[in-house]
Amino acid sequence: MDFSLDEDQTLLRDSARDFLTEEWPVAELRRMLDGGAAAPAAAAIWSKMAAMGWPALLVSEENDGFDLGMFDLAVLMEEAGRSLIPGTLHSSGVLAVAALETLASEHAQRRYLPDMAEGKVKATVGIYEPGSGWNPMLLRTLSAGVVTKRYVPDAADADLILFVNRTSGNDVQIAVARETEARDLQSMDVTRPLYQVSCRAEDLNPVGGGTVAELQAVIDRATIALAAEMVGGAARVLEMTVDYVKSRKQFGRAVGTFQAVQHKAADMLIGIEKGRTAVYYAAAVADEHPDKLPEAASIAKATANAAFVQAIQAGIQLHGGLGFTWEQDLHLYLKRAKACEFTYGDTNWHLDRIAHRLGLS
Amino acid sequence: MRRLIDTAAEAAFRERLRTWLAENAPSIDKHDVDGLKDWQRRLYEAGWLGLTWPSEYGGQGLGFREQAVYNEEAARAKVPPSINNIALMIAGPALIAVGSEEQKRRYLRPMLTAEEIWCQGFSEPNAGSDLAALQTRATSDGDDYIVTGQKIWTSNSLIADYIWLLVRTDPDAPRHKGITALVVDMHSPGVTVKPLRQLTGEAEFGEVFFDDVRVPKANRVGAENDGWIVGMKTFTRERANISINLSVRLQQQFDRLLAEVQGREIPLDPQEARAVAKAYADGQCLTLTCERLAARLFGFESSVVKVAWAEMNQRLQEIGLATLGPDAPLLPGRGFGREEGETSTWGTDALAGEDDSFDKSWQYGYLRSRANTIEGGTSEILRTVIAERVLGLPRE
Repeated sequence: MDFSLDEDQTLLRDSARDFLTEEWPVAELRRMLDGGAAAPAAAAIWSKMAAMGWPALLVSEENDGFDLGMFDLAVLMEEAGRSLIPGTLHSSGVLAVAALETLASEHAQRRYLPDMAEGKVKATVGIYEPGSGWNPMLLRTLSAGVVTKRYVPDAADADLILFVNRTSGNDVQIAVARETEARDLQSMDVTRPLYQVSCRAEDLNPVGGGTVAELQAVIDRATIALAAEMVGGAARVLEMTVDYVKSRKQFGRAVGTFQAVQHKAADMLIGIEKGRTAVYYAAAVADEHPDKLPEAASIAKATANAAFVQAIQAGIQLHGGLGFTWEQDLHLYLKRAKACEFTYGDTNWHLDRIAHRLGLS
Repeated sequence: MRRLIDTAAEAAFRERLRTWLAENAPSIDKHDVDGLKDWQRRLYEAGWLGLTWPSEYGGQGLGFREQAVYNEEAARAKVPPSINNIALMIAGPALIAVGSEEQKRRYLRPMLTAEEIWCQGFSEPNAGSDLAALQTRATSDGDDYIVTGQKIWTSNSLIADYIWLLVRTDPDAPRHKGITALVVDMHSPGVTVKPLRQLTGEAEFGEVFFDDVRVPKANRVGAENDGWIVGMKTFTRERANISINLSVRLQQQFDRLLAEVQGREIPLDPQEARAVAKAYADGQCLTLTCERLAARLFGFESSVVKVAWAEMNQRLQEIGLATLGPDAPLLPGRGFGREEGETSTWGTDALAGEDDSFDKSWQYGYLRSRANTIEGGTSEILRTVIAERVLGLPRE
């Protein structure tokens, strides 16, 4: 397989990195620490990203988007992950766009997607239910009463909340949740708040539907985008760590000369290279070989989980006491890593899925 | 990017190769040196070897992509590897990079045809990871060097016709500055090879002794005292090629593991199933990482995949052995009952096979895999290489 970036993809990566370095330094991120997703800093960066056209990346041309593939998206999300971009690009620009493009009626797509592509409407999606895990087959069948979704990202700040529910057997519906009650679940990653959102069944306005497999493909694509962010975060942590151990002196020399330090850094790189491969491969598979998507997405997430968690934990260790402080930025990456690790299935969940596909369970 | 499927030309290449392998795949015992030589010659004559080597020296002048297709198909067909793999993977590519025109014309083609088998003489009893400490001496004598000293861990030395050798030509220069690379005829007077029996019972390696061996100066590769650079170029190619080759064998091993566990009456417990799934995911990642980093693999990045491959194969062998339960420590077939030091060739181990001989067992695979993190650079040294050369950390 050919992994090299073409000219447009290289441009996308470079312009994204320049933009985020300029517009989203950690100082901006820290302004979110108290205010969460509703902070003015988050709103400001969102409108700037919208102006760059990022929320339109995955939106089809019919719905006024760029209709680019998952590979281009992965290139962008890796950069977003480096800079710890707040959640809206993922929740609205990836998850909600993918859900609407896959499941919603043409009418509903026309109604919502052009505004989402422009960044005028921020959407989010509730899928996970207590008891279902990230397996859409285990969503309970929709019935009267209150429907509760957990781990809905950025719900308090969203203009549009979508629920995907199982209606019977293999069928799912996507619905606009009109009257909702959102409870902040207090995620340790305050730049990406998670909510428990409840809505009465009669307040769900169906706007389309499809199969469980189609819903799974939506989740898989969001998983790949998240894994790309994780690899970007891990790569940034490694850079910060390399810079630090080069300059920090103990025993009269840079601590980066010590083997115990060097070998940890080497392991961080090995994990990141594997993670980047898995993400690019899965993104290419999503574009070209949808039959292989479930396996590739699971490999990408399991590998990215390992890479990011290992990188940030080693990164903190190699920064010594400084790495444990609030002042130093590493804890922001640690909390992002942990929040991502359990989103769309943890490592065991994905390994079980791979094992199942290999016929081992 | 993101070309997951072959181009038309690659697809045609794959199809031709697959057909050829299906019709020609032999069954050769790994100790049958003549049979393995014959197999390599047939591979070469059919146009499947030296794929990335320049065509003027007998190669096919193709790209890395064709090599990747070859690796995949060879794994699928479970054919024996080439017996002259030290030449194909290490000495040949190094010679292409740094050899003279005359040397390339003289040596490359017989490497491909397996007419001349090569080994590599770098490590010494007192120069392992610290290669720059090597002491084998070459002193100038007219148009010749006189070589005296000892090499160790020399794979394929028992069957080799030539050795790719690093010697010290200037003992007074700083360590890295007094080393020279030579091509030495293993049949020269004064060369003695002693098999080195390894913990698997066989002898892939030997010790090579040089006792006033006369070597023409025309056999020097690169300038005198420039051997360290030549050696480094050899190393990165060695690691890159080992990794690419091994990712193929890893695939074979995994397929075998999968077939075995899928056929079991009692299903794996969830932890075992996860371990197998993880090995699968890691193996896929590693093979693809070799492809992704292909352009950079001949640099220090080769260490990244070598470390990952070695640890991954050890894990896979542990899993494979564990699937045998309490039978795990029992040696099948002839076990260690071989004649002491029976010759075997490097790189032909771990062939997935259907018979129940020791060579093809998980027991053998497990024992052999303990060398993976040592051979071709220990994982400790390679992590230091990654830290210093790839990440740019300060040298110790």
